[in-house]
Amino acid sequence: MTVPIQCTPDETFVLNLGPQHPATHGVLRVKLTMDGEYVVKAEPVLGYIHRMHEKMAESGTFAQFMPNTPRMDYLSALSYNQGYVMAVERAAGIEVPERAEYIRTITVELNRISSHLLWFGAFVLDLGGFTPLLYAFDDREKILDLLERITGSRLTYCYYRFGGVYNDIDDEFIAGTREFIKRLRSRLPSMYHDLVTGNIILIKRLRDIGFVTQETCRKYGATGPVLRGSGVQYDVRKNEPYSVYPELDFDIPCYPEGDSMARYMVRMDEITQSLRIIEQALDKLPEGPVNAKVPKVLKPGAGDCYCAVEAARGTFGCRLVCDGGKNPYRLKLRSPTFSNLSLFGEVAEGMILADALAFMGSLDLVIPCIDR
Amino acid sequence: MSDYWSDVINGTRSLVIGMNITVRELFKPVITEQYPHFVPVMTPRFRGHIELIGNEETGLPNCVVCGMCQRACPSSCITVAGEKPEGSKKKVLTKYILDFTKCSLCGSCVESCNFNAIKFSHDYNLASTRKEDYIFDLVKRLEEQS
Amino acid sequence: MNIIRQTKWTLLELFPEQKETEAAAEETAWNNALAAEAEARAEAAAKDKESVEGETPLDQIEAEMSSIDLIEKGKADSSPEQTEPPPVYDPETHDVPFSEIPEGPRADGVLVVKYASRGVHIDVQCSPEQVVESARLLDQAGFCLESISGVDWIKEEQMEVVYDYNRTDGQFCRVAVRVRIPRAEPLVPTVSDIYAGANWHERETHEFFGIKFEGHPCLEPLLLPEDADFHPLLKDFTP
Repeated sequence: MTVPIQCTPDETFVLNLGPQHPATHGVLRVKLTMDGEYVVKAEPVLGYIHRMHEKMAESGTFAQFMPNTPRMDYLSALSYNQGYVMAVERAAGIEVPERAEYIRTITVELNRISSHLLWFGAFVLDLGGFTPLLYAFDDREKILDLLERITGSRLTYCYYRFGGVYNDIDDEFIAGTREFIKRLRSRLPSMYHDLVTGNIILIKRLRDIGFVTQETCRKYGATGPVLRGSGVQYDVRKNEPYSVYPELDFDIPCYPEGDSMARYMVRMDEITQSLRIIEQALDKLPEGPVNAKVPKVLKPGAGDCYCAVEAARGTFGCRLVCDGGKNPYRLKLRSPTFSNLSLFGEVAEGMILADALAFMGSLDLVIPCIDR
Repeated sequence: MSDYWSDVINGTRSLVIGMNITVRELFKPVITEQYPHFVPVMTPRFRGHIELIGNEETGLPNCVVCGMCQRACPSSCITVAGEKPEGSKKKVLTKYILDFTKCSLCGSCVESCNFNAIKFSHDYNLASTRKEDYIFDLVKRLEEQS
Repeated sequence: MNIIRQTKWTLLELFPEQKETEAAAEETAWNNALAAEAEARAEAAAKDKESVEGETPLDQIEAEMSSIDLIEKGKADSSPEQTEPPPVYDPETHDVPFSEIPEGPRADGVLVVKYASRGVHIDVQCSPEQVVESARLLDQAGFCLESISGVDWIKEEQMEVVYDYNRTDGQFCRVAVRVRIPRAEPLVPTVSDIYAGANWHERETHEFFGIKFEGHPCLEPLLLPEDADFHPLLKDFTP
């Protein structure tokens, strides 16, 4: 609960949260000015795993930057892969075959589920519940197995290519995915929701804590489940349709409360919606090639373009500036968690430390994505 | 006050439901793989480090030393060298070094190869305490395999 | 009202000269369209009159035939628009015409560009003094700031800062505001007092490019170490 602080500045002390702290999910440091248990000022300190991806993009060709994209957000690697590939396709004017678009949609949604499942486990672990993490990883493992079969790696998938995908999916993958949908559908209510969502401890820790208003979201440019948890029905997949999303029927989960519980519920509902998307995409999967004819050395004309996709944590944007050469002239990577974390300082003011950590968990931070 | 009691009752019920699920799962079979006793088989598309493909008849590498993999590599961890023996038109591979410490297993080299000369190996349990163990001499590796 | 059009007119507040010419162009376009519409109506009315006035049996039969044709056509198409008069030309709902971004240096102003190839609907080039005003106008119109990116144009001795705006209220309109500044003295006023989220984006742009944001509360490096005095994304940077 947020309590107004009445203290003189000299009664406060500085507490360093991180850089090595289990609740920050990586090397994030938060400089907290505390008054007893209450946070007076929270100042995130970033850059512990900054790798300068944007400079790496400038020094290599368009294709050579591809393996970097999944290493930004290792949990929803394919969304980032897709965002970059789509930006280059937009700049070079490449048309993607329909089958490739469907395969992209199926795999990216599987990746979204695996990302949300890991977040679910880690978030409940932050709040002190250890068991749900193991159940979530059990299901996530199934997705990793499926994606490993077709992409060749388990975490940092680099599966999309300019104008298509690396290689076609097979029947075994389709059958496995259908089986997985059935399995997760049966486990979601009977396991995840009964065990965790209805749990009194979780509700007491999350409800009415960490309010983020719509105006705060707009001012800070927060997107994704943080925005949808504040009652704004915005999703790039619906509002700015790309790929084959306009042909698929799905809803945008949206909770108006704006507290940590709302963000939790948004992500849990998104898993259900992603399952719906995958099922429809598998039904509609057309035959055909999975790769467009693209020159080996890509040289888009001079000019710049912007491309946004919905990653698991919000809008991932790429601003690509080309000068007609074979290297990107400038690539700006707009990571959703960077903006989502920037509102932490404002919202965490006046919270109890334990609540501030629960709130931070509900923002779903992935530090490599913030630091780039 | 009624809120308090409904909290207590609903809370207790939610905890009992949770315990039920945990107990039920306790008696289910183990889902983790018992690694040293059970060695998983990698899928055909698994991307391990690369290795050379030998010609089926002669056993010599398919590589023609075009250098495409070397140029495609984003972290420049491949060094290829070859020489032209007298009287032969084709180059012959003499050295193929993979610096695995820098490799990020992206597979750009395999994609760029037009001569079916390199493939992903299925080695995954690579561990060593020395850095030099990860400078792979792939020509030697191919000779040992055949 | 079309959101792209609305935003365009909002942003044209910044450029009174372009606004005047655009307004004049739109008025002539409107007048032309109205005139064309009036002409078409007059023609249609004249045709109707002819068919009614035609007294000869042959004409009558023809008129009947054509009317039957019309009815049958209407049935076949079964669309109500066929019978209704054509919609009145209305610039409010009329699509905004696209224009291309010219190559090379470009004058300040608002351009409506093709979304399919640019990823934005409206592309604004403005002077550093207009950055804050553009942010204020877009803030009042309900936009949110998505990202700020710097570009180093070393050949032209210039730096560019691109602000990407977006809406999250269901209406679909992306705006890019560009500002070019001399490379020797990169100075842009801050928008962090309008958009709180711009704070970190500006800090990031400052440490990567050395672009100073005037009035920014704290321009310390964010992602680089605290004592970093280099700007890695400059094209002449050597580590």
